[in-house]
Amino acid sequence: MRSLLLFFALLWVTAVSAISTTGDRLLVVLDDVADKATYSKFLGDLESRGFKLSYETPKSESLSLFRLGERAYDHVILFPSRAKGLGPNLTPNVLLQFINANGNILLTLSSASSTPSSVISLLAEIDIQLPADRTGLVVDHFNYDAASAADKHDVLLLPPPSSIRADIKDFFGVGAGANEVLAFPRGVGATLGSGELLTPIVRAPATAYSYNPKEQAEVLDDVFAAGSQLALAAAFQARNSARFALVGSAEMLSDTWFDAEVKTVGGKAAKTYNREFAKRVSGWAFQEIGVLRVNWIEHHLNEVGATNESNPGIYRIKNDVTYTISLSEYSWSTWSAFSVPANDALQLEFSMLSPFHRLPLVLDPAHSNPEAAAYTASFKLPDQHGIFNFKVNYKRPFFTNLEEKNTVSVRHMAHDEWPRSYVISGAWPWIAGIFATVTGWLAFCALWMYSAPTDKKKVIKKTQ
Amino acid sequence: MSSGSWTSVHWSFQSLVWEGACFPAALQLRRATGNQRHKTSNAMRFSQSFASTALLFLAAGLAQAASFWGFDEGTVSVAAKKGSEGVKHKLSQRTPLSTPVALGTADSVKVVLTAKDNGKGKRPHQAFVVLKEQDSGLEAPFPLTVKESGKAVVQIAQKDLPVQFLLSEKPLKASVVIASFGSATGLNTPIFDIEVKTDPSAPLPAYEKPLRYGKQPEISHTFKSDPKNPPKVISLFFALAVLATVPALFIGWALLGANLNNLTKAVGAAPLSHPSFFGSIVAMEFVFFMYYTSWNLFQVLPVIGVVSVVTVLSGTRALGEVQSRRLAGEL
Repeated sequence: MRSLLLFFALLWVTAVSAISTTGDRLLVVLDDVADKATYSKFLGDLESRGFKLSYETPKSESLSLFRLGERAYDHVILFPSRAKGLGPNLTPNVLLQFINANGNILLTLSSASSTPSSVISLLAEIDIQLPADRTGLVVDHFNYDAASAADKHDVLLLPPPSSIRADIKDFFGVGAGANEVLAFPRGVGATLGSGELLTPIVRAPATAYSYNPKEQAEVLDDVFAAGSQLALAAAFQARNSARFALVGSAEMLSDTWFDAEVKTVGGKAAKTYNREFAKRVSGWAFQEIGVLRVNWIEHHLNEVGATNESNPGIYRIKNDVTYTISLSEYSWSTWSAFSVPANDALQLEFSMLSPFHRLPLVLDPAHSNPEAAAYTASFKLPDQHGIFNFKVNYKRPFFTNLEEKNTVSVRHMAHDEWPRSYVISGAWPWIAGIFATVTGWLAFCALWMYSAPTDKKKVIKKTQ
Repeated sequence: MSSGSWTSVHWSFQSLVWEGACFPAALQLRRATGNQRHKTSNAMRFSQSFASTALLFLAAGLAQAASFWGFDEGTVSVAAKKGSEGVKHKLSQRTPLSTPVALGTADSVKVVLTAKDNGKGKRPHQAFVVLKEQDSGLEAPFPLTVKESGKAVVQIAQKDLPVQFLLSEKPLKASVVIASFGSATGLNTPIFDIEVKTDPSAPLPAYEKPLRYGKQPEISHTFKSDPKNPPKVISLFFALAVLATVPALFIGWALLGANLNNLTKAVGAAPLSHPSFFGSIVAMEFVFFMYYTSWNLFQVLPVIGVVSVVTVLSGTRALGEVQSRRLAGEL
């Protein structure tokens, strides 16, 4: 527990100096460093949020994600490259090692050039598929920007992203105004594998589809993917909570599309939501939002007259126990009390191999404050002795993984903890039997020693 | 998307407005309003019929200016084998087929239509038949093979369908999407329903839902039931029956002439040994009683040691005295 506190104290120290919970060193990889002018607003927003930006090209020899075996950067943004590969310093293996070392990556794609093969391999590693021949373009003939793509329909106008499931917190679309749309210009759509670590952020509208502009410009003989199967932006969170975000259109992050005026097919003018979306996607990828922290865990006996010792190592079967966990959520620059999304539940498992109990933890206002929310559950331990775990396994899309295990022994009843036999009504005849035997034994002893012969006995003897 | 009932209300409403019209552009207008219907239902902002009436007229105004994608000569048929033709149903882009098309295990659905831009046959870039599972909203697009003239065909066999579709309890919704680059407005309209018939003798294909992080079902441990007691009346009756044996024993002994007449003689002969021997027997029972109520084994053992020494020492004298009386025939 103490080492845990020390760890969080250290974490706190680093968190104060940086905007992100995992560091502020951000590497921006561009084909040509001069291209950064295209994304000046996006990169300026990142800088103003406290990130220290370094710029490199994939060809640069000085580019290295690791230095002396440690990460040289905390986060990486990869902008599209016209090169066939990303060179020896950004092989898929290096990028995966970077994720394994808790580094975060924001990857952007573009349909203007074919995607580098190392990006394809990296995406294949995390089960994201891009169109064949590394070339794809998403068009939608029903939801396009009538002002800039009236003929080509390759600038998609999408409603701001909403949560894909009712129990998932909406991180990406909450800041959207009523008349704001997300512009997705000339982007690449991907299909996601069925793994649980992948979550789509923006899905294509039902009528959108992806095609190869080089080969399928006239006749569309085969569709790579269409409709909501096509992810335009997707999130991947590794088991170590390192994050990888994919944005299908790098152009949507460019200055052109930040707060731009667009016209829907119906002729209505609208503003783009891209700037806020870019902030939220990069903020999520770089651990500025959706980061959870366990402050403390406490469990104790919840019985009348019992000692109120915290976190004992041993309990007895059928003890009443209370478990409390304190959680905070990091949001942009502060730790605040974590509130479980509606329709979702924070669950406590009491398990030996498999869970014996799985109970919802409810908010405990007495132990909560604005920085930390305490969740508690009280229950009766199962009537099975052994080594058990209090386990909180809270893994949700877009939230960092929480897996907390506290091991306790559960002993069986001691011989003097059972109810006394006189309390058990079924034992009364047996207790009466013992009483009868004792009385009879004492009386027999007295008679054996002190009884005098009687006449009756003589009469019996005579008859014999 | 809008609910089915809302759609049908809207359609009947629209036909009320447009059925009597006999302008040359009537067909186009219908297409226009058909597309507009799709958009409004997407937005779901104008669920009141008044608002949609206004929109309808607006769309009618627009219809004169822009061109629209549509289709003609559409048919759907179910063929048992590739090549053979089944019953053909005519498709309309205004009203979906009223009866669902049944699709057996070896069958395939064949959709033939001619895509038209403003009434002229033309090849669109996007010509899909989209099948939708109603419960999950899962959609599968099937692109049509389109010729230059706009003639398009697609054949969908049951084995081409995703597993989820085979397990669907409701009919699949098939819609056609025809659209292309340029200014012509696309068409996206439901055309028919498919009822998937699976072979009842063969097992249904297995579909395992992918793992998704989320809350899991609650579990409460089922405790073993507490030991049960018989009714107290029965326990009490048998306890009293057992206790009744004590007076019965005493009465029996008394009838046989049991007495304590030799007590004074015995105590007179061995005044120390007899009381302490009998007392030690009583004390031993008391020790057992204390062991039952409160003492533990380590408190009991030394006391038993003391008591048994007294029993042995006093017992030899006391029982010797009893033996002497017995040999004298006094017992």
